[in-house]
Amino acid sequence: MKLFEYQAKELFKEAGIPIPRSALVKNKQEMAAALDTIGTPCMVKCQVLSGGRGKAGLVKKAASRQEAEALIQGYFDALPMLHAVLVEELVSFSQEVYLSLGMDPVSGKAMLMGSAQGGMDIETLAMEAPEKIIKMQINLDKGLQPFQLSDFAFTLGLTGEAAKSVSAVCRNLYKVFCQRDAELAEINPLFVTDAGTAVAGDGKLNIDDNAMFRQQAYEKDRSYYASDMEYEAAREGIPYIEFGGDISLMCAGAGLANTVYDLVNFEGGSVANYLEFGGPNYMKAGTAMRLCLANHPKVVLIVTFGTIARADVMAQGIVQAIQDLKPTCPIVACLRGTGEEKVDEIFREVGLVRYTDTEEAVRTAVSVAKGGTLA
Amino acid sequence: MSILINQNTRILVQGITGKEGSFWTQHMMDLGTRVVAGSTPGKEGQVCCGAPVYHSVRRALQEHPADASMVFVPPRFVMDAVMESLENGIKLIVTLADGIPLHDQARIRSAALANQATVIGGNTSGIISPGQAMMGSLPYWIERVYKPGRVGIMTRSGSLTNEVTSMVVSAGFGVSSLIGVGGDPVPGTRFAELLPLFEQDAQTDAVVIIGELGGTMEEEVAEALNAKRFTKPLVAFLSGRTAPAGTRMGHAGAIISGNKGTVDYKTKALEEAGALVARRPRETGTLLKEALSGGNLRG
Repeated sequence: MKLFEYQAKELFKEAGIPIPRSALVKNKQEMAAALDTIGTPCMVKCQVLSGGRGKAGLVKKAASRQEAEALIQGYFDALPMLHAVLVEELVSFSQEVYLSLGMDPVSGKAMLMGSAQGGMDIETLAMEAPEKIIKMQINLDKGLQPFQLSDFAFTLGLTGEAAKSVSAVCRNLYKVFCQRDAELAEINPLFVTDAGTAVAGDGKLNIDDNAMFRQQAYEKDRSYYASDMEYEAAREGIPYIEFGGDISLMCAGAGLANTVYDLVNFEGGSVANYLEFGGPNYMKAGTAMRLCLANHPKVVLIVTFGTIARADVMAQGIVQAIQDLKPTCPIVACLRGTGEEKVDEIFREVGLVRYTDTEEAVRTAVSVAKGGTLA
Repeated sequence: MSILINQNTRILVQGITGKEGSFWTQHMMDLGTRVVAGSTPGKEGQVCCGAPVYHSVRRALQEHPADASMVFVPPRFVMDAVMESLENGIKLIVTLADGIPLHDQARIRSAALANQATVIGGNTSGIISPGQAMMGSLPYWIERVYKPGRVGIMTRSGSLTNEVTSMVVSAGFGVSSLIGVGGDPVPGTRFAELLPLFEQDAQTDAVVIIGELGGTMEEEVAEALNAKRFTKPLVAFLSGRTAPAGTRMGHAGAIISGNKGTVDYKTKALEEAGALVARRPRETGTLLKEALSGGNLRG
């Protein structure tokens, strides 16, 4: 799971990484106290999980208290699901550094990446000036060793106090990365002041969902999700993404779902939502169909080819869902795999026809979405 | 023939007494797989699917030498189980669990490299040499998918494997060995590392890779083709061609960041290296026919 900036920074601070003085504003009522504490000028930063906050105007500098109040009130008015706003002191700096830690899949080692040209989007930097990104592999069994730290800091082009303080941040960021089972730990920008001290200007920390059993739990409320349906799907443990088109995909298996998504686009159709109910979710056809129908699609397209996710069990779930939910849009179902020989008879109860060819099912669904009728 | 496993491979099953472990061990044996023993701490003395059970891998191996280990344990215990087999000198380990923590995946990968062992998985249905042996949970009884033959298959997906392989079979081919490397961000074994095995296997005429967006495994295959580490025909089907950047499409490893990891980028790399890339599952079969009838397409 992705943490909000303020949550990431709390963990960074615990690990010894300097962060700016800040106060969290969860609603308009908390605004006055926060501004009293931090003062102005200050930074006003929306706590949202999407990237590119600066470009979207969700991070702004406020020169006066009046300006800060107007900004904060404006954010809460414009974004009803806004999690919080972070008010931070301004940090004056002479340099911005980029630092990140992730996993290198080829070596099975951690990868520390840095650039003395922080502040900008690292993907842009990677395209325009890849030589300015310094990479260092870290053996997880040995950890980040002192010689690696100095090698890294000096290769970044840092000297004196700055080299020392950035090294310390790297060491502590690695500590957070390991202790928190992070997929990504990133500071961009890391401010370096005239005196050479380092302060984390931003903070990203993505904690591995697979490791939540040994990590601090965060209650993920609605503000972590883009829509009500994505929130509900997440609570059911069903992978679900909205795309805004008119064909709802209900597929078992991620690879097959991606393929069906492609085929719909190839045929000129548009996907309302991607939903994957394979693996442990194959008995949740009812919930899956309810999530799909909530998008008011023109057709629901079901494609499966499972082993453990048995076709007959899914067929029974689909029939039950049709009887309970009484969908008004057509359903195109292509079920194959274990138990497939029983599907035709199960489907007969609700007059559903089983397709056996993925591409034929996709073509049918696209034609129905465009006003055609089921063959 | 086949790669990695055949009817002579002696297999130890870790977690054999569990619900999933015993269910699939029975299927493996029904296909003809040679399971010599199992291990589950605290269950020594029991017999499961006809195989003797021991407390530990070390204790099992004392009585029953084995070539490979099949791991049926929940995700959080996978790293320990893999380390146990590596410590005991096993050089082929298959682990299926979906949900292994990322940091554990990385430690498994680096330990496999350090031990010069092959760890397949996690987040996979396993490996099979149809008609001979299986380590995993593949529906070998579906004849229109798991037909013995002379095409090697490597895949990052489960359900899509059934879809694409059925197209390979309906085009008139069969499978020598199918290796599911899994959908995790840090798989134990990467596509390109398996190519030399298929290259050496006299019973494999061509290889099909079933890939997807994200990561660099398909690009590494292109590099292997360019370096002539694999010279037989290679056909690829890649899913996620129209996926938007930055969206994680199901598998944890299936995400595009920046311009890397896109299917178009992977397709270009593979085609420039002489591979044929299918846009739709059905094309995999027709391209394979083309590749195997037209002689050496890569000149």
